[in-house]
Amino acid sequence: MGAAAVRVLVVDDSPVDRRVVELLLRTHCGGGGGAAPFHVTAVDSGKKAMELLGLEGQRRKQMCPSATAAAAADANEQAIDIVLTDYCMPEMTGYDLLKAIKALGSPNPIPVVVMSSENEPQRISRCLTAGAEDFILKPLKINDVQRLRECSGARPKAATTDDDDDRCNTVSSSRKKLPSDHTAKKVATAEQKTSPLAGLAMVINASSFEVSHYFQLLFKFILIAYAVLCLSQLLHRWSNGSFLSLWCA
Amino acid sequence: MAAAPLREQLSALLSSMFSQGLVDEQFEQLQMLQDEGGTPGFVAEVVTLFCDDAERIIAEIATLLEQPIVSFDKVDAFVHQLKGSSASVGAQKVKFTCMQFRQFCQEKSRDGCLMALAVVRNEFYDLRNKFQTMLQLEQQIQAYDPKQQ
Repeated sequence: MGAAAVRVLVVDDSPVDRRVVELLLRTHCGGGGGAAPFHVTAVDSGKKAMELLGLEGQRRKQMCPSATAAAAADANEQAIDIVLTDYCMPEMTGYDLLKAIKALGSPNPIPVVVMSSENEPQRISRCLTAGAEDFILKPLKINDVQRLRECSGARPKAATTDDDDDRCNTVSSSRKKLPSDHTAKKVATAEQKTSPLAGLAMVINASSFEVSHYFQLLFKFILIAYAVLCLSQLLHRWSNGSFLSLWCA
Repeated sequence: MAAAPLREQLSALLSSMFSQGLVDEQFEQLQMLQDEGGTPGFVAEVVTLFCDDAERIIAEIATLLEQPIVSFDKVDAFVHQLKGSSASVGAQKVKFTCMQFRQFCQEKSRDGCLMALAVVRNEFYDLRNKFQTMLQLEQQIQAYDPKQQ
């Protein structure tokens, strides 16, 4: 019928906010054209979220100890597609949860979206720097649902990459004041996700800084090699030319 | 046929709630989700949850403010939670009074907090009465015409 359900883990200590978000996601499948529905799991603390995520990771390892099987299990049986967490929570804040999830070191990290009722640029910037896919101001609205869907990476087959990138950029520029490198990072991430070389993109994302640095070096090496080749050709021609001139003289 | 005057009452009630600033576009969005998403009882569930949660929070705040030494951080945390939940359901006036309450928390003024708590309580009770009337009217309308709503 449409895409597989997007499994969302909602983390919020407020029962009202939790329920509103849950109902909003379940009710508004949105988009049409086979948009994936949401399957929502809601917990009231970062600690419970970590337990759920940690237990799932352990379960996967126990079920599939081999690397190949684990990769297959990781691709097919990941329980949560995206985490939507409130920022202000007692004991473990949404920021702490975000950092903990990113620190799990998974080759396929779960995207995390942070939400908050406070429109503080420093808070927003801090979360995005720590690796949050997006930052949404509460209360959640209907158009935030589509943003969430895009951040999860689960899109209908008919969706185009250009629209998604434009939407990410438009939302980023209108909702919050982001440094340009963060916006560029998001655009690059969105492009990588939808390119035919998705597997290569996943590997690149896993060690993005080191690989991009490697490609820079490789590119420089190729340039230098080409320059040396051109130089040698020039020298060869000059040397031939000098012989000819001597011979003619 | 008997549902028509009830619908008029409900419409007038909702209009007055919006015009008085008791609720805002977030509440309207929840109503839209209920109507367009085909999820009857969506608004009733959320409103009931908010009323129960708000009552609990107000009681907690009152207890904290009665202590000889007031922990303004804890009070502020509760007020923040009430502000958030009121924003989520579209309870605009309650949300604004919570924002003012937080100012007194940051100033660490017990008298200010007590005054703000009284304002928040009054606004909440007013809104709760309106919500209860709204839910009663919706139930009566549904009893007459279960296919709609």
